Amino acid sequence: MSNEATLIEAAQNGSVAAFTNLVQAYREGLLRFLVTRTTSFADAEDALQETLINAYRYLHSYDARWRFSTWLYRIAINNAARQRSVATVELGELCDEEDDPLKHCIAASDRENLWLSARRLLNDEMYAAMWLRYVEDMSVNDISAVLERSVSWTKVNLLRGRRLLDAELNRAATESKSKAYG
Amino acid sequence: MDNVAERLRQDARDIEVSVSSELDDRIRASLESTVPEPPTPKAAPQRPPWFWWASSLTGVAAAIIVVVIANLQAPEPVVPANPAANPTAFLPPVSWKVETAVLTSPLEQEIEDLQSDLKKAEEALKKDIEAVF
Repeated sequence: MSNEATLIEAAQNGSVAAFTNLVQAYREGLLRFLVTRTTSFADAEDALQETLINAYRYLHSYDARWRFSTWLYRIAINNAARQRSVATVELGELCDEEDDPLKHCIAASDRENLWLSARRLLNDEMYAAMWLRYVEDMSVNDISAVLERSVSWTKVNLLRGRRLLDAELNRAATESKSKAYG
Repeated sequence: MDNVAERLRQDARDIEVSVSSELDDRIRASLESTVPEPPTPKAAPQRPPWFWWASSLTGVAAAIIVVVIANLQAPEPVVPANPAANPTAFLPPVSWKVETAVLTSPLEQEIEDLQSDLKKAEEALKKDIEAVF
């Protein structure tokens, strides 16, 4: 039995310490993801807290056929959507917010962070699929499980997302060249 | 397109977040006060594949038994008490191969002629049989 499986079993038996150890490796990644999907940093923190509490409360329903991170992200996406629905803000509208938490968390750079462009160009689910694929390195099967979509839907949307962002990168590159040459 | 994947990974790393100790304490306190939900009773176990065959066969057998019982209990067909006046009316038509006898003499003479014809025919037949075998 792997270390993670042992921790899951202990947490299912009510050990908070085991659960804390179990989610230790995922907390920062989850918070980074939630920051891109909520209206404020405080909302992202609340969503993380809710995600972990729900995961602990319903740990018995975790299906060991899937990766633990797949299950956590499923809960996190639901919590982020709930936070946004309370704030009545769509994902694409976050870019226009003054206190957009993502803008505050991005390190200073001379170019736009591609995740800001992604949030502007992609819809909610396509954005999540791209994040899970390229940041969390999830398989297409895992992504389709997180988003509760078919594998073919996931593949098509990943391809569309890549094409849109590729076009955006090319556009940005052309713009910067034209600026450089006056 | 690999450029996109690389940029997405790099830009995700550029999003600087960390779980503050305050948030850590808050989460820990929430977890301590949370009671895990007990597992819900499992649904009925999945039936083995042969179960469907067995249930289908049982269904077919039950249907056959019902049909047989229904036929056994069915009332006898009622025979009409007074059959039709002309019973031949119910007989199917038969194509008889017959020739009409033309009576030119009194009946006794005719019978003698027919019997002698029959004898002649028998003798002819016997001759033919002897010739063949």
